[in-house]
Amino acid sequence: MAEYRGMQLQVAPNDLENQGYFEAARRHRLAMKACNACNRLRWEPGPGCPWCQSLTWHWQEVSGRGTIYSYQVVCQAIQTGFREWAPYPIVLVELDEQRGEPTADEALRVVMNLVDVSFAAEKQENVAIGKRVEVTFIDLDDFTLPQWRLAAEQPVSGLWQFPL
Amino acid sequence: MSDMRDRYCIVGVGETPYTRNSGCTTRQLAVTALKHAMDDAGLGPDGIDGMLSYHGGDSTTSPAVSSDLGLRLNFYMDCSGGGSSTEALIGIARGVIEGGMCHTVAIFRAMNGYSEVRIGGTGARARATPRESQLLRMPYGWMSAGQNFAFTFMRHMMEYGTTSAQLAAVKVAGSKHASNNPKAFYKQRVTVDDVLASRWITKPLHLLDCCVETDNATCIIVTSAERARDLRQRPTHILGVVGRVSKPRADMHYVHGPITRVAGYYAAPMIFKMADVTHDDIDVTGCYDAFTFTTMLQMEEYGFCKKGEGGPFVASGALELGSKRPNNTSGGHLCEAYTHGMNLVIENVRQLRWQADDYCPNGEHTYDYSEGHCRQVREPKIAMNMAWANPATGSALIMRRG
Ligand SMILES: [Zn+2]
Repeated sequence: MAEYRGMQLQVAPNDLENQGYFEAARRHRLAMKACNACNRLRWEPGPGCPWCQSLTWHWQEVSGRGTIYSYQVVCQAIQTGFREWAPYPIVLVELDEQRGEPTADEALRVVMNLVDVSFAAEKQENVAIGKRVEVTFIDLDDFTLPQWRLAAEQPVSGLWQFPL
Repeated sequence: MSDMRDRYCIVGVGETPYTRNSGCTTRQLAVTALKHAMDDAGLGPDGIDGMLSYHGGDSTTSPAVSSDLGLRLNFYMDCSGGGSSTEALIGIARGVIEGGMCHTVAIFRAMNGYSEVRIGGTGARARATPRESQLLRMPYGWMSAGQNFAFTFMRHMMEYGTTSAQLAAVKVAGSKHASNNPKAFYKQRVTVDDVLASRWITKPLHLLDCCVETDNATCIIVTSAERARDLRQRPTHILGVVGRVSKPRADMHYVHGPITRVAGYYAAPMIFKMADVTHDDIDVTGCYDAFTFTTMLQMEEYGFCKKGEGGPFVASGALELGSKRPNNTSGGHLCEAYTHGMNLVIENVRQLRWQADDYCPNGEHTYDYSEGHCRQVREPKIAMNMAWANPATGSALIMRRG
């Protein structure tokens, strides 16, 4: 159990959807569920394969790198523990793995905050669709929370930013 | 399937006042709305033998409400659900009557949506300890409806150049309509600049891009066209209804497909085929407006404008009374009240009866849409509702004047 922004964070013993994900995070690795039958990765991590309906799977580590596909900047926090953190960005990131598969519109899209090196909310002038990001990890008592941070790479294509 | 077209009707509608401090239980709200709808239809306790409701753990039950009003039921279900439930339950009501399980169904939604369980996610909902998939959301400060949909909204702005000022026109239209609705919670007209100057909730949503939160109950009564003939009101016939049509990966809409695509993409061909009407036949619409964006996205996806042109379309003033596509003529969720969809259907029923309850003297409509006057569309015959649960799930309903 770990305390984070007013919440108690822990994975229930029977929560096989999320256990392996947060165990990997504890080792500072990002992991997706992979289907034993068709080998496709899936997100969010459910018990069945949406592509081939197989019920067997394993956890597979991924690079933890991707590109911002969409985002928002929360200015009025809903949860009390986030009030002092606002404005904070939430970003929808497409992982480099499995982009455009099995159809052009598919990707592994993972939602987290965008944080800076000291785990503060990244400034909104630094957030844009198209920016490259990499995973980082906030270690709490006995729980590790993955987050995105900006990568030192150049974007592949043009950037788009909501008017500041 | 198509043989149910036109054979079922909405015969009664009712609601409580729209407030932020009901000072009573959801049970009392529900009973009041039901009584108003029964009176509207001219039905006594023997006239209703079926009941449906929807809730998010914040309402009362059919056994409580039916007992309070002396109804003996042959069928009831209290379903979980928010937006897009109204139309889905109208479809279910039609089906259970067709199946002989009962003959007349009252559908209600009761909520202290401001004073008890706020839909925006504040209050009790914000304090829970995250479990299972919530672990991927709440630790990121990501849980309200607006936060859940914002990726879709933002991406639409990026892909199509949609602007905040364009979206604001949806709120402006709603406020004009509400100014002619004595029931509306917000009757004040607002401008595009008012919307843009309102505080940020989560970018790209301003406060005035978001619907109001209110306490209320609403009720709709469905029966067969045969029975409808003997009742008090001119019936409103159901031409077609589709309920909770969904995109793939319905619970994680942001992981699949073009995220600017919403459920109407799948619902539109179904509903227009079932109702056997075209866009030009539709005189008035009710398009779910939990946010200005939801109306714009659905107008596009149901084909009232081209995909990607929703911004210029709403900015043209097309949604206002007196324009070509009058929409949410009560003021909708943005201005009248938040009911999880039912007030938008109730409004269209009243529009099709040519009985919008506005400020016109003696029920004689003037069609003067300036502030404090008329909100009746000129003699509408067909109305459509487009309802939203989230980007991945929606319902639709097409009705005609009886
Ligand atoms: Zn598979």
